[in-house]
Amino acid sequence: MKRSFRTVGVLGAAAALALTAAGCSSSSTSSESTAAASAPASAAASSTCAAVAPADTTIAFVMGAEADPFFQAMKVGAEAEAAAKGVQLIWQGDPSNYSPETQIPIVDNVLAQNPTALVLIPTDPKALQASADKAVAAGVVVANVDTHVDNLDNTLTFITGDNTDGGAKAADAIAQAIGYQDGKEYKVVIGLTSKTATTNVARQEGFTKAVESKYPGIKIVDVAYSESNPEKAATNVNNWLTKYPDLAGIFAIDGTNASGAAAAIEAKGLKGKVALVGYDAYPDNVAKIKSGIFTALIAQDPAAEAKQAIDTITDYLANCTTPAQRDVVIPNVTLDANTSEADLAKYTYVATK
Amino acid sequence: MSGSNQSAAAGSASAETRARVPGWLTNQNTILVGVLILLTIIFTAVEPKFFSVATASNILTDWGSVVLIAAGMTYVVISGGIDLSVGATVGLSGVIAAYTMANVLGYSQDISGSAAYGPLSIGLLVSLAVGLIVGLTNAFLINVVKIVPFIATLSTMGAALGLSVIISGGQPIGSANDFNLINAINPKSIPFSPAVLVVIVVVVVLGLFLHKARFGLWTYSTGSNAFATRAAGISVKRQIVKIYALSGLLAGLAGMYVYLRLGAGSPSSGTGRELDAIAAVVIGGAALSGGVGTMLGTALGTLVLFTVQSGLIMAGVAPDWKKVVVAVLIAAAVGAQSLRKGGRS
Repeated sequence: MKRSFRTVGVLGAAAALALTAAGCSSSSTSSESTAAASAPASAAASSTCAAVAPADTTIAFVMGAEADPFFQAMKVGAEAEAAAKGVQLIWQGDPSNYSPETQIPIVDNVLAQNPTALVLIPTDPKALQASADKAVAAGVVVANVDTHVDNLDNTLTFITGDNTDGGAKAADAIAQAIGYQDGKEYKVVIGLTSKTATTNVARQEGFTKAVESKYPGIKIVDVAYSESNPEKAATNVNNWLTKYPDLAGIFAIDGTNASGAAAAIEAKGLKGKVALVGYDAYPDNVAKIKSGIFTALIAQDPAAEAKQAIDTITDYLANCTTPAQRDVVIPNVTLDANTSEADLAKYTYVATK
Repeated sequence: MSGSNQSAAAGSASAETRARVPGWLTNQNTILVGVLILLTIIFTAVEPKFFSVATASNILTDWGSVVLIAAGMTYVVISGGIDLSVGATVGLSGVIAAYTMANVLGYSQDISGSAAYGPLSIGLLVSLAVGLIVGLTNAFLINVVKIVPFIATLSTMGAALGLSVIISGGQPIGSANDFNLINAINPKSIPFSPAVLVVIVVVVVLGLFLHKARFGLWTYSTGSNAFATRAAGISVKRQIVKIYALSGLLAGLAGMYVYLRLGAGSPSSGTGRELDAIAAVVIGGAALSGGVGTMLGTALGTLVLFTVQSGLIMAGVAPDWKKVVVAVLIAAAVGAQSLRKGGRS
């Protein structure tokens, strides 16, 4: 992830390089454009391409943690698109642990079922590299969604929400909520879930960069991890509120942190006094925009990510066409008190029932 | 034999320790109180705000949810078993309670204050029932299907995790709540919340049962020598049923406690808590081989865990260090235990 950020600054050069040496990895996490250049996937194409009929196609999704509404919403999108394209879908992942230890054996089991394609949401960019390589070696078409493995050379496509830009949008929302003025100082904390999830890293980086360049008065004074448990997220916020009685804002970097932070803020009666910007549009959290606990929520579109992955794979399998851009970035949106009911409904994560 | 083990473990370690060292000095609970004082001094030196009613309230709030499952785990571990399902049961019972309150009875998250007491009481009954069912399932798997506790409770842990996701759709389910129940009674002077006071009463009662009642005595004897216990005419199987049912019931109670904290039932709200509970029990002086452990030790062990957690956050130490510190504490606790045993032989 770090490496790919360095390449962002020299995207043009990277793309040029990629043209001469197919297989160079350059990931487009750049905030500006969804059309950021990247190397065309040479990779999936390296195995000899023979058209596969939809009826013979099985697409396996191995995601991070079933308990996460983000993945529930992604599942809804994946199931709908798989049905529309007439392909089989295998949906797998650990019930609640977002960790490579539990994900690697799940990938192994899924590969044993000989899927045509694997959509992997790696819980760790390094630890899951071997699993992705193993799939490619077995002739399985590999795509990454949401997060990615370190080396994307053999990946057909990488589709993600623009998490860097989402982090920057969170910074804007906090600055607006606290009425940011140059020359004043504001203390802000970030609630994280994991050090290795590339989405966490990208959002934090986007937030930090936006703060440094646009709001130098905002000081990020602390970070802590929730380990996927909302109660631990609430604990972190409780301790911060004790340590920083003048805390101006909290950036809760994902749904788990958002739930925990919202509960802590509500319990302490600090609604509206501490700016709380969360991530991920759980219905329960969207309701808390209306009641004023959340200043704003940054939402992704996981269903669209899954749809795009399945479309790209079925296109490739049917016509041997690799996507024009390997890396596809779907923008994040800011939901706040001014967002229309229709948009709130559109971006709220639907659950499977 | 089992009786003497119990009383020794229960507090009067003096007879068991080396002649010249006074007993109270090597007593696990004395050591834990010392550790707590030391931690308080260190963290206060780094961050003076640590020594405050607000911090005490933060620590007690965390202590409340984990000490409940740790108390159940104390019985289980003393009986020679382990219960890995408690964390998942916290999540499952909270989710089913919230589902009942929100989706079956239609109470929205806008209901607050004393108007929430009715829905919350129903939620409490539901979560206790869910916990009890998981506990009885564990006992069934251990007694009837003859699966060792580690694997039996690992299976129910997986099933509980899966079910909580299926029922909730992976979403937190918000419903009626009164956050005053989980807030300090007086943030300036009294760090205890009403919920924590209830938890303290529960833990004291469980301690009396463990150390003063026949139920506790039989728990110790099951763990130190199940064969002799059976020979003495005690039904080990029935004891196992009661112990795992109790552990499940307490996980259900903890599920409702966590619901109070979050104002929602969340499938991931118990994630990893079984390990916190086991760590607390071991730091409190219990032996995973069974037959040894005290309720006061568990209560103090849990307090040490969360003092470390709050202290490290307050001191601004990188969060990864928490795991290292807890690992050192566990190793030290077990080490102290085997040193005490070694001194006797």
